[in-house]
Amino acid sequence: MSGGKLNNRRKMSQALSRVANASVVETLKNQKELPKETLYRIGITGAPGSGKSTIISNLVSKRVDNGSRAAVLAIDPSSPLTKGSILGDRIRMDSVSNDPNVFIRSIPSRRSHDGLADNTADLLWEMEGYEFDEVILETVGVGQAEYSVRALVDTVILVLLPESGDAVQAMKSGILEMADIYVINKSDLPGAELIAAEINEIVSRNTYSSNEWKPCVLSTSNHSVESFNALDEAIDEHREWIKKSIDKEHERRSRVRYQVQSLINRRAEELLELMSLKEFDGRPKEVYEKLIKKLLIK
Amino acid sequence: MSLEGKRILIAKPGLDGHDVGAKVIALALRDAGADVIYTGLRKSPDYIARVAVDEDVDAVGLSMLSGSHNEIVSETLLHLKELDASDIKIFVGGTIPRDDHAGLREAGVSGIYTSDMAIADVLKEIELELRNA
Repeated sequence: MSGGKLNNRRKMSQALSRVANASVVETLKNQKELPKETLYRIGITGAPGSGKSTIISNLVSKRVDNGSRAAVLAIDPSSPLTKGSILGDRIRMDSVSNDPNVFIRSIPSRRSHDGLADNTADLLWEMEGYEFDEVILETVGVGQAEYSVRALVDTVILVLLPESGDAVQAMKSGILEMADIYVINKSDLPGAELIAAEINEIVSRNTYSSNEWKPCVLSTSNHSVESFNALDEAIDEHREWIKKSIDKEHERRSRVRYQVQSLINRRAEELLELMSLKEFDGRPKEVYEKLIKKLLIK
Repeated sequence: MSLEGKRILIAKPGLDGHDVGAKVIALALRDAGADVIYTGLRKSPDYIARVAVDEDVDAVGLSMLSGSHNEIVSETLLHLKELDASDIKIFVGGTIPRDDHAGLREAGVSGIYTSDMAIADVLKEIELELRNA
């Protein structure tokens, strides 16, 4: 590892801590300019225990072999009671976390309930400009309704398990409509083919025009390193498609929209936490107006 | 007192495979509000130092029952220094003979927590140590 890159790594690491510890006001004050070329973002989401971290480990190892420098942002849930967390994703990424071309940062979800952390957008923003090529975002283990990751990344990968047949029925709306790539993980277990067929059926029921991305359905297993080749290639394919087909400005605007919304949410939370119980006397309308007034104070 | 907002890496260096103590302390730290990262078993000092830097933790807790704590501590400190991260504090826990405490402290260890200590006391000391940071 060259000295320059090492310094960069420590710099990024400390910058991420600064952003993580900053209030909304500080975040906005210190927000940097984005470089012209921004990092390619891959989001991996799925139920708890579906193997997201393991998939990332396998995927990162392939992408680094192909000369990419990858940064991983892995989110684990915070306890709503103590605010503490055990950030365990990294244990599953053991085989790659010693690679100097891989940077892994574990972050707590804090106040957020949408599968991301309440400051994910700000952290991703801060990761720009440190000589990485792509960033892989691992969400908290989610159900069907948490699809905020769509707003922040280029490629969304949804990880499913062979036994999640009934869940798929329930997921027909929600995250199941949002993914670019579906991965049936632990595909050596019984039921894998059945669920792959079900997802394929759901996907092919939709009609896609020639300039639309048709999601692909893949199977992976930790017992077969080769099974991750197809995933690696599918990501590259989707990336190529995005380059040709996605309106960059539109994408940029929708990310800004999400980021502004999460900043407002956080600011409201910060202010609500400072308010005494007494201030919640009165009707919702009055309390709401009180809060709005506080929001306006710089 | 609380450890809210503090990031702590719990690491198992060396060859001993007993991580009950490491897990107990990890959960206790979480319940005190900290964000805790656990490395898993049998990690080398340079690996631990690198993870500590990437995760930008406030402290690393080395859990050791193997008797090789003196060597592991000095190597971990050395690697942290190489990575320009000497500001990250080192705590040591496990089976650490009394005779070795002074030497470890001198080497730069901020706290030594042996298995006969009550968890509440360990937390209290860590909180104090990190509050001054």
